[in-house]
Amino acid sequence: MGRFLLKRSFSALLTLLAVSVLTFLMFFVLPRDPVTGMCPKNCNPERLERVRQELGLSDPKVEQYLGYIKGIFVGRDLSSAQGGYCDAPCLGYSYVNNEPVSATITRVLPVTISIVVPAAILWLSLGIGLGMVSAVHRGTWLDRAAIGFALTGASLQLYFVGGVLLLAFTYHWGIAPVPHYTPFLDNPVDWAGGLVLAWVALALLFSAIYARLSRAQMLETLSEDFIRTARAKGVPRSQVYGRHALRAAITPLVTIAGLDIGAALGGTVITEITFGLQGLGRTAVDAVRSGDLPTIMATVLVAAFFIVTANLVVDLLYAAIDPRVRLK
Amino acid sequence: MRPRTTLAAVGALLLITSSSGCSQDSQSSSATGTNVMTIPTQTGVIAANPGDSQGPAAEVPDATNGGTITIIRESKISHLDPPRVYSFAALMNAPLYSRFLTTWKDDGKGDLTLVGDLATTPGTNVNGDCRVWEYTIKDGLEFEDGQPITSKEIAYGIARSFDPDLTSGPTYLQEWLSGTPQYDTAWDFKANKTSLPPGLTTPDAKTLRFQFADPHCDLPFAASLPTSAPVPADKDTGVDYDTKPVSSGPYKITENTPGVQLVLERNANWDPATDPVRHQYPDKFVWTFGPDPDAAASRVIADNGPDQSAVAWNGVPASLVAKVAADPALQERTLLSPTPSANRLTINTQRVTDLSVRQALNYAIDRDGLVKALGGETVASPTTTLMPPGTLGYRQYDAYPAGPNGNIDKAKQLLAGRTPELVLGAADDSSGQEVATQLKANLEKAGFTITVKSIPADSKLDETKKKDNPWDLYVDSWAADWPSGAAILPVLFDGRTIRADGNSNSSFVNSDAVNAEFDRILALDPDQQTSEWAAVDEQIMTELAPAVPLYVDVADNIHGSKAGGLFISGIFGSPAFVNAYVKQ
Amino acid sequence: MNATRGPERQLEEATLSSGPSENRGGTTVAGRSPAQLTWLRLRRDRTAVISGVTLVVLLVIALAAPLIEWMYGIGPQDQFQHALDRYGMPVGPGGGVSGEHWFGLEPGLGRDIFIRMTAGMRTSLLIAFAAATITSALGVVAGTLAGYVGGWVDSSIGWFIDVALALPFLIFALAVVPTVSLRFYGPREAVPAGFQVAVIIGIFAVFGWAGTARLVRGQVVSLREREFVDAARVSGAGLGHILFRELLPNLWAPILVSFSLALPAYITAEAALSFLGIGVLEPVPDLGRMIERSLGYLQTDPAYVFFPGITIFVVVFAFNLFGDALRDALDPRSTR
Repeated sequence: MGRFLLKRSFSALLTLLAVSVLTFLMFFVLPRDPVTGMCPKNCNPERLERVRQELGLSDPKVEQYLGYIKGIFVGRDLSSAQGGYCDAPCLGYSYVNNEPVSATITRVLPVTISIVVPAAILWLSLGIGLGMVSAVHRGTWLDRAAIGFALTGASLQLYFVGGVLLLAFTYHWGIAPVPHYTPFLDNPVDWAGGLVLAWVALALLFSAIYARLSRAQMLETLSEDFIRTARAKGVPRSQVYGRHALRAAITPLVTIAGLDIGAALGGTVITEITFGLQGLGRTAVDAVRSGDLPTIMATVLVAAFFIVTANLVVDLLYAAIDPRVRLK
Repeated sequence: MRPRTTLAAVGALLLITSSSGCSQDSQSSSATGTNVMTIPTQTGVIAANPGDSQGPAAEVPDATNGGTITIIRESKISHLDPPRVYSFAALMNAPLYSRFLTTWKDDGKGDLTLVGDLATTPGTNVNGDCRVWEYTIKDGLEFEDGQPITSKEIAYGIARSFDPDLTSGPTYLQEWLSGTPQYDTAWDFKANKTSLPPGLTTPDAKTLRFQFADPHCDLPFAASLPTSAPVPADKDTGVDYDTKPVSSGPYKITENTPGVQLVLERNANWDPATDPVRHQYPDKFVWTFGPDPDAAASRVIADNGPDQSAVAWNGVPASLVAKVAADPALQERTLLSPTPSANRLTINTQRVTDLSVRQALNYAIDRDGLVKALGGETVASPTTTLMPPGTLGYRQYDAYPAGPNGNIDKAKQLLAGRTPELVLGAADDSSGQEVATQLKANLEKAGFTITVKSIPADSKLDETKKKDNPWDLYVDSWAADWPSGAAILPVLFDGRTIRADGNSNSSFVNSDAVNAEFDRILALDPDQQTSEWAAVDEQIMTELAPAVPLYVDVADNIHGSKAGGLFISGIFGSPAFVNAYVKQ
Repeated sequence: MNATRGPERQLEEATLSSGPSENRGGTTVAGRSPAQLTWLRLRRDRTAVISGVTLVVLLVIALAAPLIEWMYGIGPQDQFQHALDRYGMPVGPGGGVSGEHWFGLEPGLGRDIFIRMTAGMRTSLLIAFAAATITSALGVVAGTLAGYVGGWVDSSIGWFIDVALALPFLIFALAVVPTVSLRFYGPREAVPAGFQVAVIIGIFAVFGWAGTARLVRGQVVSLREREFVDAARVSGAGLGHILFRELLPNLWAPILVSFSLALPAYITAEAALSFLGIGVLEPVPDLGRMIERSLGYLQTDPAYVFFPGITIFVVVFAFNLFGDALRDALDPRSTR
């Protein structure tokens, strides 16, 4: 088990490194040179060239990349225009936002987490619940209604749902507050109120996937022999479904959910744009549009970190459950 | 003294001539024949009467103290540090926490007066040659911490603008003082923090002196930009000063969460008796960042809770215009005004060398259709001149009268059977694409073959400013830093400024006759210049036709029912907050 | 890209233990191949029939778009600005619905919505089918190789899959798509619609193969331990034979379902790209871009939102419904 963990961790690290290189290469194709963006009207090319030198943008690309990576682990020296010395983990300085990138990330990451985690709890409970109900009452109108709801949700477009929810609940009826982010510790009620529409929109869409998934999984499990045995033995139905079937069905679901949440944490771009929330995804998009490479690198690395970690956790879970996996 | 008398006399003369010259209201017309608003006759003058520069500012009728004004904007304000302020939002935000050497008194209806703000007058032209200017600083000026503001602090503020780390702001004062666009190498701020740049002196605590090698009669205008804001030397933190500059205005910055919120609260050490323009009615100003224009407009329309004293900075988007226009209650809380932001279809004269083709483009253009594509009269107002209406000394003319929908026949006649193939470079964002589609369909009716080439939106401006850019046509926009022809025509059409990169003269015209006219007019007294620019405008269009004037942006901003005193700035075309109050 | 990976995963789990249904117990009735059985079950399923027919109709409309345009008489680029009021809004009820313009006019440019939607659906379906086919093909090849050969091949392909899944799709698309055409076409050349479509398909391919590959690999890993594979190997079958004649025929069920669920995911993804402004550009008609623009008009011209919104919903819903029905038909156990 230990060896397995080591091997997978090493692989995860390599993945992150590869992601960082690819992201850096993306800089070559970025449409926007951030330095020229600093002078909307009276651009003086010679002066801009000096600014570019100061920011280290004229250095060879490899040097820029290595400098960035070094900064993450041990900190590095940045020019005065970028605030001097930058402590580890140094994610660079954003000359577009005029602040150290770590400050940006510290600010926007909680927003994305606050959007995704409660929404995930919502969509998992709703989805799995619907799926279970549907599987147990297979073939009845309940089953069809649940599946119908699930399919409708899966077929809707997020920005469409978001737009309609906003129009109805915020602008028209004034029930929901305008979407905004308040840190949970400051005011939990306000925190929830500002994000509830985003949660509902995400839940509507994603519960559908899990409803279908859990229904299929549950049906699968219900047709197993051990369930038949339990029923034959006279175990009450609630116990059959609750203790036996649910436990068997849940494992693959949870692993999939883990991966999805990992990916979602990586950037809920459309949700954030639709609801006007400044999270990781939105920040990344703005950074790409303005050519802000340090911020791009940081957001991509954070997102990749979540995905890779989720993958690692899922793999570990699989290995813990299924010994065959470990032996390979 | 001679200059003062001249100013006084000419000031009076200006008032007369400008009001008669611009008395024809430039009306926006559309195919349906009705007008949504008339462009106000913009009269602007440098104040001759010292009383104009004294405080307190006239009381706003019905204004009450208290409350919070919320300003909703999609993206955060780029900079707070005065010498780095240049975007419209930053420029309208700066007067809240910062004062400048001179400033504009704007009545919101077109009357503009340049007055002294920290200075007692808009500036004294010492020798009459526009090379030496002197300002006397008022008494009783203080920073938010009670420290006095003298000429030393203002000079320091200007000196630190030479620091190349402090990017993004206007560079007039720096270039004029050092005499070169490479001002940061001509004088190194970081090495000389205790001294002042060449030409800038403070003979005593109440006097500030500018000495230029070349004449710059526009100094009073340039001094209205935030570069001239005072900065206490002991509180200067370099690039970090951008997060919380020290206030010299009626409000101070108390909370700054980038991308989320900016809060300004009352500054007790601001003395209204010294300020000719600003007021201090609300308790707080709060900028909220994030919502897109649709969301912002929707919530202000809904007018719930704190949004009742809010204003949507990004304006009513084209998609919601019909809703606002149909509702008289909403109309009442809409600020509708043309702006000085003029849009033109620039013709790359290096590639489109035939004047008749350029003239044909001017005849073929369907401005009415373009305005519709943009969202109607509350979004854009068609124009046929290079300077926007509202520029001092503006005169309406149409060098190629083609009617609101263009004159396709006249265009074909000029082309005489030719079908020129032109490439239109357009931004790849949604509005750029729509405008390009509209223009292509329009111009092809006259026989042109238009190829639309998409350029990534964020780099389009930089690319079209390059001398060897590969396109024939592109839509350009220009908003002058002050409403004088001097800040528009020579900048955009003087061929001697052309270089490899960063050209504002993106038509790349270079006409000796026109250049000579520019030189001649710039050598005149500022007051005499005003009426000359309109003539040059027409001359450029008639002789060179370097562009097709398209439309002027219209500001259409909605605010909540409890927000009062808001108006659209005649200088920058954005909501101004100096008279704002919250109805109790 | 949750939408793309979700169904793959669900499939992975749902079909992990379902094997080939070659030998269905000895009966005296003439044996039917699994494909025939699937088809029979599909035919009997009412929802499958309805959704299948809907899809065929939509496909026909999309393919026959030029013909429809010829009959309708109005092209996707024709403008009718005289029918717009001074705010650029279409005059008349329902956003300008009339006998001449069945779905009304677009605000601003005044183009006909019906014909643009027909053309847009064509683009969306083309992109979805091409992307789904390519990613399925790539994924199958990679997954099969990784799953069967094992060892370092498996490790390295697995690592590539990890990297592809860890890269944020939208961010990279945002950076790459706008600039790719600049490298292939001169600064004065128009980029043809075909190329733009190809770029989008390409970026889907680069990111999408990983999910299918992982799914297929899982299947292959469980299959290769089965007796029939051992038997084939022992009797001297080469790698090619094992891959194509033994493994692949048993994979077609999950692959097919994955493909049919990927289609609506790609339609949604392409609309998402258009929402961010990096889909196909004007003047090529596109459903996603139309919806994105129309959302702002929800309060002032709801018909403009309604028509493309309902259309894309119907398309995606029909695909999802059919995919579900297909999966039910393919899995013998679900009929109990």
